[in-house]
Order: sequence, then structure tokens, then C-alpha cells
Amino acid sequence: MSEALIRLEGISKSFGRVRANSNVSLEIVGGRVLALLGENGAGKSTLMSILAGQLRPDSGTVSARGRVLQLTSPEEAIAAGIGMVYQHFKLVEAMTVAENVFLGHRQMLINRRRIEAEVKALASQFGMSVKPSAVIRDLSMGERQQVEILKLLYRRSEVLIFDEPTAVLTPAEAENLFATMRLMLAQGKGIVFISHKLEEVMSVADDIAILRRGEIVDTVPVIEVSSTAELAERMVGRKVLLEVEKKPVEIRQQVLSLHGLGCGERGDGVSFELRQGEILGIVGVAGNGQKELVETVCGLCKPHSGTVRIFGREWGEFFRTAADDPDNTLAWIAEDRQGLATCPSLDLLDNFLLTTRRSFSGGPGKLFLFREEARKRAEYLLKTFDVRPPDLSAAAWQLSGGNLQKMVLAREFYRKPRLIVAEQPTQGLDISAMEEVWKLLLKAREAAGILLVTGDLAEALTLSDRIGVMFDGRLLACFPVEDTVSLAAVPQMMAGICKKSATV
Amino acid sequence: MNFDILIPLLAATVLSGTPVLYATLGEIITEKSGVLNLGVEGVMMLGAFSAFFVAAATGSPWLAFVVAGVVGMLVVSLHGVVCLWFQGNQVVSGLALTLLGSGLANYLGTPYVGTKAPGFSAVALPGLSRIPALGEIFFNHDPLVYLSYLLPPILWFFFHRTGIGLGLRAVGENPAAARAAGLNVQRLRWLGILAGGFFMGLGGACLSLAYTHLWTSSLSGGRGWIAVALVIFAFWRPGRAVFGAWLFGGVMALQLRLQASGAHVSSSLLLMLPYALTVIVLVFSSARRKSNAAPAALGVNVEPGE
Repeated sequence: MSEALIRLEGISKSFGRVRANSNVSLEIVGGRVLALLGENGAGKSTLMSILAGQLRPDSGTVSARGRVLQLTSPEEAIAAGIGMVYQHFKLVEAMTVAENVFLGHRQMLINRRRIEAEVKALASQFGMSVKPSAVIRDLSMGERQQVEILKLLYRRSEVLIFDEPTAVLTPAEAENLFATMRLMLAQGKGIVFISHKLEEVMSVADDIAILRRGEIVDTVPVIEVSSTAELAERMVGRKVLLEVEKKPVEIRQQVLSLHGLGCGERGDGVSFELRQGEILGIVGVAGNGQKELVETVCGLCKPHSGTVRIFGREWGEFFRTAADDPDNTLAWIAEDRQGLATCPSLDLLDNFLLTTRRSFSGGPGKLFLFREEARKRAEYLLKTFDVRPPDLSAAAWQLSGGNLQKMVLAREFYRKPRLIVAEQPTQGLDISAMEEVWKLLLKAREAAGILLVTGDLAEALTLSDRIGVMFDGRLLACFPVEDTVSLAAVPQMMAGICKKSATV
Repeated sequence: MNFDILIPLLAATVLSGTPVLYATLGEIITEKSGVLNLGVEGVMMLGAFSAFFVAAATGSPWLAFVVAGVVGMLVVSLHGVVCLWFQGNQVVSGLALTLLGSGLANYLGTPYVGTKAPGFSAVALPGLSRIPALGEIFFNHDPLVYLSYLLPPILWFFFHRTGIGLGLRAVGENPAAARAAGLNVQRLRWLGILAGGFFMGLGGACLSLAYTHLWTSSLSGGRGWIAVALVIFAFWRPGRAVFGAWLFGGVMALQLRLQASGAHVSSSLLLMLPYALTVIVLVFSSARRKSNAAPAALGVNVEPGE
């Protein structure tokens, strides 16, 4: 094994009473991919922010080839050859690719043509296709990521940190990324790869470091790991039921039917039916009309073509009368947990009342809100749904993603919905929280029809009774989850390769 | 309308548009760095007064001109302290600056109302001023006007062809990205605020040194606010700012001529014309443009260590 490019020794970092990292030691070796694996809140982001110069450690050292580095700003990390591809891209949308790549250079004058030529040469050297003169806001997510990578290559970074790089990519774009990574490895660069996706880690990484509660619990070469299940077990420290038990449920009356609903610019629209007792999983790469589908079904925007019937009633009629009809409730588990599902700075009781306020109102014209009654109810729900901390006066932003999601589920299920729209319900959650949310959704399907919109195929396969694939505003296929032939074609369909017509 | 009237009118257009042009360019620099400074009016007033004061005391208009720019920088540094050090509200701080600047300039200037000071006078540019019509319109002015011709291309070059200009735009568009790229966001925003204040101060100096040569109460007369509006009209582009400033200057010159010709219209209504027209043009030009040209992080404060 060659010498380490970067060595972290005894890194500790606390935020108030919370220990984000304690005594972490790692080596990043040239020509190898080190995968950093851990649940949410295990301290991966903190550790990498320290490496990227965004945070300062309380103790411990970072050294490069035996020389101790003082990483007090991103500038110094960059100068030391450490670069980070952030999960949320740090690009100036109004500027061109070349300008973004050049940003931060100490050069006085800009020779536009020369920089564009350099960027172009660099891109083709590493198998990337992005055009140097293109403006960022016109680019796809995959292309934007290429720009982030080009920024680092242009600065001759030796160590590249990828924070969940495939989260926003199509399978084909992800393959491209991996090819680019291999070219970088061949040049002796070191790569740190942060991901939740176990299969991906298994296929890309050379070494795997597992973080749990801020500590490195395990560092193993990937050849010594036998399966993703073993990896998951090492990660959470106990066996995880990645397979949740799914009891058959009696399918009852129809709760939602779409006919030719236009989702996005093109396509002949989306048609399907959903019945009480089943989960329909809509999969696809983000941005293929899922947002439009969800927003229309949930009443945020009018169906711009086709018809939507909810509980047998026409779309407009349903949303006019929805408030006065407690027996036919639609619940929405929004993807944007801290923006649409909750108000981040309000406390949990207020957030609980956001959608349940009608059941706690009374007096003339339901003018008054019975907060005490709501408090009792909400306290009980927080306990049964195991939301931590079970404290109604905590603000929503103080909760971790998993706890906030459980709070949202507690609130929505309290309304006894018969139709649930769950949008990316486990995005950003750790495995144990994910498992809890899955179990709750499976239980809820006994009384409701669930439209599950997710980018995570494993989630759709685990939960759904039927699977629908969306691409470019169309439902390419819709089939029972037992249909293994169609299932095998899902990745191609997600990339729009197989143009199978919808069979409802 | 014959040329004997039109050409002096167009020449007056350029002359009266120049102070607004300086101020507009100043505000463009500041806003490009992501800081909204609504204190332009106050900064112009203090720039105008300090220029007048220095010119009267020393007799040197050039010294007075530079001092006005420096005073502009000092005044806007208050805005920098509030917005960059203490993360204060940029709108409130800017409004306070306008009230403070206008009030202070009027107070200090009270003894000088109606007095004159040496200023700049028109210098015909050899050669260029001989061009028929154009020479009279563009090349028979005071040096401050000629200087204002050079500024838009220089600023364009600064924004698009220098590393610092690129950095300044980046902190106005996406401070987090700029920081990740290793740029010092606070320092670049200080640059935006101070350079902007310098030009606003120069705009004020144009008023007292070139446009009027004398001191009156409320000399700026709302031109600072016009500058704020013209930034939007110009889509934050220095080149377009020239047309906005000259449009305002043109209507200003026209209404003065109408007043002088004894038109039977209330002078208050005529005085209102340039302001009203600028606002109307602003509304129409903004409505036509769908994509937003404003710096994405305009008015958004950034924590120093964030």
C-alpha cells in the first residue's frame, strides 16, 4: 500500500453537549476509494467539513505527507489539495461553467478563451461532457456535479471528497461519475466517498470506514465484506430488518383515480387507480413529473389536463368540501419536511395543530382552539410514535429528520386518512428510522390507499403492492410487485430507455 | 423642433444625467456584491456638501471631487458596520443613512445656502468637439462628464474580466459557493460597499461642482432614489445605466426649458415629470423582462464564519 495522502489523527469535535466526532483517525491513500459509511448524525458531514476547512476540530491533527496542516478556512484546504463535492452544489447559477471553475483564483485578469479551453481539455481528459460556456442554471444535476468536480481538478486537488454524489443522478449519470472517478484514481488521486447506498459502496469502494456516534468503529477493505447485509449490520451495530414484514390486506373501495392527468410539458398524461388497502409505488428519477403529480393530487395546483377523482368526487368538488368531511381525509407526507410539512421555528404543538386544528376547534363558527385538549392528545401521540425528545415545546428544526418525520406521521395518521400521499418518506433518514417509517406506512395501508412517490427503488419494492415508473411526465408502466419480468426492466425505464406503454 | 433647440437640449441631457449616472454605477457595484444600500440619497448629499465645502475653502475642484468620494466611503462604512459586522437589516440601515446624510448635509450647509464655490467648467475636447451635432452634445462639457464616459466600460471589464470582479459577483449571487471556493465573502462585500460609496460621493460632487456651482438646501432632490430605481432599470448592467441616467437627465432638462419658456403649466407638475417618467419606464422595462437579473443573494446577510 502506498503512503497516505492525508492522515487524520485523533480528531474530536463537539457542538455544545453533542459530540459529533470523537478521536477519529483515518488515512486517505492515493489511488484508492475510501467509503465513509454511517447513519444520519453519525458525524460524517462534520468530519468532512473539518477536512474541507469549513469547521475547526477541537483537537486532533490533519497531516498531508507527514506535514501537519492548519485548516482554518476552505482556502487553506484547497491549497493543501483537499477538495469537496458538496451534496448541495456550491455553484453560482447565473455564471458560466468556466467562471465557476475559475472562481477563487488569485489571478488578476481573466482570459476567457484560455480558461474555457483549459476547462474543456480537463473535462474531456476525465470523460465529462459539460460545455465550458454553458450557464449553470441551464444544466442538469449530473452536469452541475461535473462542474463541481472540474473545479477541484482545475485546482489540482489530490484528495476529492464526494458527499452522497449519486443522490441526484440517473443510473447512467452515476455510471459516468464512477468512470470519471476511476480515471482520477489512475492518476493517483485519493477519493473519499460518502453514501447511504450500500450496494454502491460495495461496488465503488476499496476500503470502508464505518462511523457510529462520531467514532470510527470499523475500517475494512471491501474484499473482506461478504454482503450488503453484513455491511448494514456493522453500520448500525445490530441486525437490521431491511426486509419488513408485509401482511396481505383486503383491497377495498377506490380512493383515487387519475385519467390522462398531464404532469409536465409532454406526454399523454398519467392514468391509474388506487384502492384502499394497497400501496402504489411511483418510482423514477426526480424531475420526471412526480412533483406535478403529487401537487395536483394534494390540491396545490389544478390538473391542467385530464381528470382526477378523489374518493369518487371530482377534483374541484373534493377540495371545496374536503374541510367539512372528516370521513374522507387525504393526508400528505411532503418531501420538504421543514418547509411544507412543518414550520421549522414553530413548536411541535403548533406544528401538530397545522393540519389537525379542526378537530380541536369549537364555539361559534369553530372560532376557538382548544389547546389543552390538543396538548394532551399530541403528548400521547409523541409517546406512541416514539418521537424524541417527546417535548411539545421543542421547535421543529431541533428534531432530527427521523423524529420530525415520525411527528408528521403521528399528526397525519391522527386524522385517520383514507388516502395518503407519501413523498420520499424516508429521504435522509438513517436505517432504523427508515424501518420505523416503513412499518408505520404498512400499518396505515390497512385503512388507506397510499400513493408512494420515491426515488429509492428498494423502498418501493419493500412497501408497494404495485409499482409505476414515471419518465418525462408519463407513466411508462404500472405492474404488480410480483411481476419479476417488468421489475427487471425498471432501471432502464427510469432512464427512459424502454418505451413500454402504460398498462393499468 | 429645429436643431438650435434640440442640440443644446441634448447637451443639457448629458450634463444633468451625469450625477445620477455616478450614483447608479455606485449602487450597481454595491448590489452586485449582494448588499442593498438605500442610503444613496444621503451619501450623495454629504458628497455634494463636502465637495462644495472643500472647493470653497481650497479653491481646488479636483481636490474637492476626490474628498467627496472619500466622504462617501466613510459614510457607507456605517452601512458596512451595521450589515457586515452586526448582520443588521440592510433596508433599515440604508434608510437611516439617507435620513442621516440628508439631514446632516442640510444642517451643515445652512450658512452656505445661496453661496458659490469654484467648480468645473466646460472644456471642449480638441478635435472631437468639432464633429457636427455630436461634438456639441457629447464633447463640450466639464471633465466629470468625460470621466463618466469611461466608467461603464471600465466597470464592465472589472466585473467580467478580472478575478476580483468575478469574486464580487459571486458573493452577490451565492455567498456559500464563493466561500467554498476560498473567497473571503466579508472582504469582498466591504469592497462592494466602499467602492459603491465612493461613486455615490462623486455623484454628489458632480451636483455641487459641475451642475450648479452653488449650494442650496436639499441639493440632491431625490436623485439618490432615482439611482436606486435605475439600477433595476439597468438590469444591474453598467452600460444600460447610461441610458437610464440620460433618460432622467433628458426629461429634467426638458422640464427646465419648459419652465423657462413660460409654459402655462404648474412648475410643481413640471418638476415632477422626470421622477414620474423614470418610475413609469422602470415599471414597463421590469415587466417585460421575465428572468430576474437581480443578484440572487441581494439583501441577504452572511454570517462571518458561515
